[in-house]
Amino acid sequence: MRLWKSWIVTSKDLSVFKKNKYILYSLVSIPFIVGVVLPLIFIYALGAEATQLTQAQFINAANTLANTGSIYFVLIPVILPSIMGSYSIVGEKIEKSLEPLLATPTTDGELLLGKSLATFIPTMGVTYIGAVIFVTIMDVWSYIKFGFFLLPNLDLAVILGVMAPLACVLSVEANVIISSKVNDIRAAQNLGSIVVLPLLLFLVFAIQITIIPLILLALLVSATLAVADIALFYLSKATFQREEILTKWK
Amino acid sequence: MIDTENLTRKFGSLTAVENVTLHVDEGEVFGFLGPNGAGKTTTIRMLCCLIGKTGGQASIGDYTIDKEEDCLKIRKMVGLLPENVGLYDSLSAYRNLDFYGKLYEVPEAKRRENIEHLLRLLGIWERKDDAVGMFSKGTKQKIAIARALIHDPQVLFLDEPTANLDPEASKTVRDFVLDLKKEKRTIFLNTHNLDEAERLCDRIAILKTRLIAVDSPKNLERSLYNRKTIVHLENVTSPIIAAVKGLNAVKNLKTSENMLILDMDNPERDNPELVRAIVMAGGNIQYVTELRSTLEDVYLKLIREASAR
Repeated sequence: MRLWKSWIVTSKDLSVFKKNKYILYSLVSIPFIVGVVLPLIFIYALGAEATQLTQAQFINAANTLANTGSIYFVLIPVILPSIMGSYSIVGEKIEKSLEPLLATPTTDGELLLGKSLATFIPTMGVTYIGAVIFVTIMDVWSYIKFGFFLLPNLDLAVILGVMAPLACVLSVEANVIISSKVNDIRAAQNLGSIVVLPLLLFLVFAIQITIIPLILLALLVSATLAVADIALFYLSKATFQREEILTKWK
Repeated sequence: MIDTENLTRKFGSLTAVENVTLHVDEGEVFGFLGPNGAGKTTTIRMLCCLIGKTGGQASIGDYTIDKEEDCLKIRKMVGLLPENVGLYDSLSAYRNLDFYGKLYEVPEAKRRENIEHLLRLLGIWERKDDAVGMFSKGTKQKIAIARALIHDPQVLFLDEPTANLDPEASKTVRDFVLDLKKEKRTIFLNTHNLDEAERLCDRIAILKTRLIAVDSPKNLERSLYNRKTIVHLENVTSPIIAAVKGLNAVKNLKTSENMLILDMDNPERDNPELVRAIVMAGGNIQYVTELRSTLEDVYLKLIREASAR
């Protein structure tokens, strides 16, 4: 595996993404919603409740909302790859550029890694940028209100450091498999959303009803994601092979 | 340069290519003719190590197509122009070629030099920074050819290089292939265009799953009928017919209006004697022409025979 070869593919895909307004809007808008809009909603909601709560209850409610917000940073790496990955692979199918690409002295693994990194890097990049904005807004507010910073905490560190990258890898791999079966970018995005939807629903549901600490939940979900990542890695590797692409992909 | 022996590819129960044995010399332009679904693209894909074979053997230079380490070397030494240009529309012509130059491991200085040389040669250097999506089909095809040549490949596979192009763009592409021929590159040309094959190729193979014929265009054309000489006369008279029938070189004679149609083994050698005999018999000759089958006649006959089997 020659990483520099993969990087050539990655940088080409990133150049293509830069020219695609839909991808650029998605890369800006989704982290903006989670990083900016969400904490403002939280702050507004907390402000409305403030008069009915004791200081301890108020801090507890603020902590809960901050943690709830943190979990949304798993949604970005789940959603964005289905948008970008569709352009990366289905886009190549539509432009019929896979054959000349496969004719180059590059291995299947190098191409797959290059394409995966092209989705993974910007996705995680904007996830972290969104997280920094989220933490900043929440901390400015909490410092003014309570005189201390709410975030970052261990929960957020596990979510951003472990869970989000694992979720991103899962979404990227799922997208490779989906892209082999469809010829339409929208269809790939829709299918991608459907595949990752159970994960989203589970996370939102779990955060609402869970009786176990968030950190434990995050670690449990991360372990599950890691197993799923390994399984999907082999499946996507088997799907992304020259012979398969040229003879079986639709 | 290219050798195959009983090369076979099956897709489930469907045999796409069966027992194809051929040899292409270094510097040769080799045409591959056949109807849709004849196995031309499948053969190219096997030779470029894009898909595997199910039988037989094939090699390019010193490398065989069934070893992974050889495949990387084969891909490095061949250039492929697939049926669809497959360029990145949102990227510039330069960026498209640069990307492929990097993947083909062309050093940066050489890459820049090659891109400029090719784009200038094809007359698109001035538009190197324009997005490929803005170009016409013909120009895109030119860029795709430049892409296939970005790493100076020893062997070039061209799959339908002029398909869907207007006559002017087709001519540009054909002229470019002729230039490449002068550079002594080995070119393997898949085409439906018989005229193109005749003009460009040193030898032609006709394929319909199996290889039906391989020869030079001229020999293929001669293979269909005996060579015929047609003599247009002012009048065909009995003394003329008697004089012509008396010649040993004439194998068969037919008359049609004021024409004599003659089967000759060696027209170059025997026609002067034929002309003398007709003149001596009082004939007034208007034209002497050769009736030869075209590549199209040969192609259609061979393909029909293969279909009937």
